[in-house]
Amino acid sequence: MATRGRLILAGAVVASVTAYMAYVGGSADWQYYLTVDECAARGQTLLGSRIRVNGNVAPGTLHVDADRTQARFQLLGSAGNLPARCGGPIPDNLVENMAVVVEGRLDDHGVLQGHKLLTRCASKYETRAAASATGSASATGSASATGSASAARAQTAARAPETVR
Amino acid sequence: MNTLGQLSLFVAFVASGYAAFVGIAGGQRRRAIGRSGIAAGVIGVAALTTVSLVLIHALVVKDFRFQYVAHYSSSELPWYYSLSAFWVGQAGSLLLWAWSLALVALAFRFWPGRHTSPLRELAFGLLMAYLCFLVAIMVFAADPMEPSLTTPQHGLGLSPLLQHPAMLIHPPIVFVGYALWAVPFALAIAALVSGQLDVHWVRAARPWALSAWAVLGIGILLGGLWAYEELGWGGYWGWDPVENGSLMPWLAGTALIHGLLGWQHRGVLKKTVVLLTIVTFGLCNFATFLTRSGIFSSLHAFSESPIGWMFLVLMLALTAGGIVLVVRRRSELGPAWPISTVVSREAVVLLSTLALLLLVLAMLLGTISVPLSNILLGRKITFGTAFYNNVLIPIALLLLAGTASAPLLRWGMRPTPRQRKALLAAAIAAIVGPVAIWICGVRHPFGLAVAWLVAAALLILAASLFLDAARYDPRRPWLHLLRAAVGGRRKYAGFLIHLGFVSLVVGVTGSSLGTRRQDVVLREGESVQWAGRTIRYVGLIERDEPDKFVAEAELEISDRGAAGYRLRPAQYLHRPQNEWTTEVAIRSTWSGDFYTILHGNRGPHRVSLTLVENPMMRWLWSGGWIALIGALLALWPMRAASKRERPRRRVSRAQRVPPIKSGQAIASPAALEPPHFYQPKQSQQPTQARRRQ
Repeated sequence: MATRGRLILAGAVVASVTAYMAYVGGSADWQYYLTVDECAARGQTLLGSRIRVNGNVAPGTLHVDADRTQARFQLLGSAGNLPARCGGPIPDNLVENMAVVVEGRLDDHGVLQGHKLLTRCASKYETRAAASATGSASATGSASATGSASAARAQTAARAPETVR
Repeated sequence: MNTLGQLSLFVAFVASGYAAFVGIAGGQRRRAIGRSGIAAGVIGVAALTTVSLVLIHALVVKDFRFQYVAHYSSSELPWYYSLSAFWVGQAGSLLLWAWSLALVALAFRFWPGRHTSPLRELAFGLLMAYLCFLVAIMVFAADPMEPSLTTPQHGLGLSPLLQHPAMLIHPPIVFVGYALWAVPFALAIAALVSGQLDVHWVRAARPWALSAWAVLGIGILLGGLWAYEELGWGGYWGWDPVENGSLMPWLAGTALIHGLLGWQHRGVLKKTVVLLTIVTFGLCNFATFLTRSGIFSSLHAFSESPIGWMFLVLMLALTAGGIVLVVRRRSELGPAWPISTVVSREAVVLLSTLALLLLVLAMLLGTISVPLSNILLGRKITFGTAFYNNVLIPIALLLLAGTASAPLLRWGMRPTPRQRKALLAAAIAAIVGPVAIWICGVRHPFGLAVAWLVAAALLILAASLFLDAARYDPRRPWLHLLRAAVGGRRKYAGFLIHLGFVSLVVGVTGSSLGTRRQDVVLREGESVQWAGRTIRYVGLIERDEPDKFVAEAELEISDRGAAGYRLRPAQYLHRPQNEWTTEVAIRSTWSGDFYTILHGNRGPHRVSLTLVENPMMRWLWSGGWIALIGALLALWPMRAASKRERPRRRVSRAQRVPPIKSGQAIASPAALEPPHFYQPKQSQQPTQARRRQ
């Protein structure tokens, strides 16, 4: 076989193997990308499907376990909120009103059971005005590392999350 | 100061526009006009430098009369993080990009070089046109000099996540990388427009392309390091659209650098090289579109802005224009020599280019999957990490195989019998790699394949060095190893970059296949056994710092009977933002990282921790630094070749330029281009002749 033919054959093999691997990976790990309202509109049809929901944490709904391995909150929608429960490491900067991305599945009760929770970068390329306005009010429910009381921490607690003791 | 900044910005806009007009319209034909264009370019760069210095001063002294400073800095912020706010906002990051481009354009214009002047003037004009575009966006849409309506007392401050040493250098390095990619693009377009498609533009473009590749690569690596140390960002690589945006031009650029070598050495892959130059720079603009359009599913929150769409339109226009030029010049872009064998460097470069472009295509599809599926299927679909990782497996193996075999392959011909024997011996001996990691307990086929290729790469490189050294003295080549490496500095610098890639693959493979994690709750003084270590929680250390409250959990670790060490994972409360951040503590060794995360309290004197073992991480970071050293060695200016230092390579019949018979038709001017080793400066001293002396 001429060199050109061999090169074309090798290229075809590389392209075919890559396409096959992409198909296998893509079919195993695709998910619907939805807003809260789209999620509500499709309701029962999404049960069990992998979804990635993009929304803001509703004010007054965020509860993070003391060890920061579980978080419960509602994602804000225009018609209604979507309850979500997430496991795994909870990002430090998770606060109410913050834009988050939750990956998981809807259970039978319509709760989004997330296996991955990602917060969106707070300030890059947008003004801090909105984030700052919500920051102090939304820290409720965050936990700290510390457990004992001290004068320094009492001072800190005045501005810190409620769970700082 | 606001007025000075705004005035300077306007001067930069007008001056760069004039310099672009003169450079592109051919002002160099009239000397006076040509000089005025260069002077305008210098004035534009000086004006933009003034704007940047004004903003830097305002950030350092916390001058909140600037709206930008009031939004991204605060009175409590240390000056160095305040300085990093320069590139945090939309307007500032655009200014940084434009300033980087201006300085790069100026360096390009006045860099001593052999390439012909008209090509340089035209390329400089194109760079000035791009600079004018960036400055126009700032003048009309995102002014970093805009004054505050009311001057605030303290400023809104910087997000704690962005207060990291990597933030001080990662974004500017990435922007400088993007700016450097503009030079090969401008040279390629200038060569296409002027028809000077000989090897000169390739020689002129290669150092700029290599610089851009090294700078962007280090920028991406620093971004990965930052994400690795900041929780919630998905580890060192999460296949996020914004991360993909910076990696795609780097991958295309990797193919481009190898293609440039193919053109320079054998006059092949010409169309591929020109198209890759256009694609690489187009992808830099696409990355900007990704980060500023607000339509992609990214971790990074970006405001929706028309600025991103301007970059998309620019990218499409540049790509379409470039392709039209390539089509028009297609007859001049034919190969000087056909690829004669698949066992040659140009064949490997061609297949590697295909693999890299397939990876870029998969990443592009994955990145734009949400808007694309919405248009095609009416439903928004996104892909997870398995999609990207699956694509990466065959491509990484192919690239590793190419990297491993390259030192014993030649341009334009099959390997010599000695090279073939060395290749075969190395491939067989490399079986020791998978056997060694099998004994260590690794059973994954990908891990075993990588181990074999890594061992083969090391053995083949050693064999190549020995064969080169044998030209000086066949009986005692080991005495001339250093001489051979220094004599072929650029070649071995390239192989050092390959070694960096090999090290990086080892790190990625090890950390992907061998990661283990465990959540534990420990009482003060309590110990836990995990992954061969004994971890004891000593106690909590609390302290107040001017801008934050710090709580550290002190851990005492004894590692497989070795001397103990202490780690202090922590949580910080940043007072200005009233925001907690987790600071991980890492013990890094060549076998892997022991990574500890403090989550929070579980009652009095008890803490919740996550322990993670990430094997081979140090190999990943080291790979980047090795590649950077290789790139610097390759970029170091070459002195005129010393005849005493270089052994001659015998010129075979196949290498010789075929004589052109009288009356024979010449397919293209490129066919007359001799291979580089026929040029007097690069000819090599014969070993035989030296031996006879």
